[in-house]
Amino acid sequence: MKEKPNLQDIHQGDSLPSVSKHVTQQKINLYAEASGDFNPIHVDEAFAAKTPLEGTIAHGMLILAYASEMMTQAFGQSWLKGGKLSIRFKAAARPQDTITASGQIDSIEYKEDIPYVNCSFECRNQNGEVVISGGSVVRLQ
Amino acid sequence: MKEKENSSPLSFKELPAGFEFPATSYELSESIVAKYLEAVDESADFMALRLVPPLAIAACAMTALAQSFTVPPGSIHASQELEFLKPVPIGSRVSCRGRIAQKLARGSLNLVILEIRVLDEGGEPVLSGKATIAAPG
Repeated sequence: MKEKPNLQDIHQGDSLPSVSKHVTQQKINLYAEASGDFNPIHVDEAFAAKTPLEGTIAHGMLILAYASEMMTQAFGQSWLKGGKLSIRFKAAARPQDTITASGQIDSIEYKEDIPYVNCSFECRNQNGEVVISGGSVVRLQ
Repeated sequence: MKEKENSSPLSFKELPAGFEFPATSYELSESIVAKYLEAVDESADFMALRLVPPLAIAACAMTALAQSFTVPPGSIHASQELEFLKPVPIGSRVSCRGRIAQKLARGSLNLVILEIRVLDEGGEPVLSGKATIAAPG
């Protein structure tokens, strides 16, 4: 992981490095163990089958992690100490979905001589359905 | 993972705007981070740097907060804002504070906006954010 990107390599309109992941029930279960979120809609297949969702769904924050990985790949440790995001969860991700996070640099602005990179991104499933959409800002310092 | 200072779940519906949840502290241990990285299928860069992925901090904070109250069945996590302020080393103990910032009625849904703040052992903020939970009316 890089410390921070070279500002000269960053341009408005550049694509962020996309990240694709396959969601499995095993990963959802592991995520529940790591986060402590054992809501049955995520981990209890028998329970979830009887709900309107008709099956388990991934934690929204699990899918958001894919977007965060994309931001880390693009901006390194700057993302960890100067990143902001604002997103909406638009649809559920399910086991066997393949989710792709992609985005672009919308603008670069300076506040008190510090560069801020504004990005927009989304996570889509294999059918092109948007699961998460949002924006992010990274302070490069 | 967590050690709660008050373990009684509170009724989400009855909590007023401005309500502050009991502080919760937890350790972001190597085993939690390893499990998290496997779950999100992320490279081991964070392990090599001995840093906790920022979304792992956020996820644990959200879960810690969510265990302080109950939500009606059918509630969904509608939106999320996060700001990462400082990298957190693996093995750190952090504390999470949360409050109900706003309660709104939108059609048949009740929206609740939760504010979260995560502080390190020195009391410095490492993460802040807002989550919107949409609950059926």
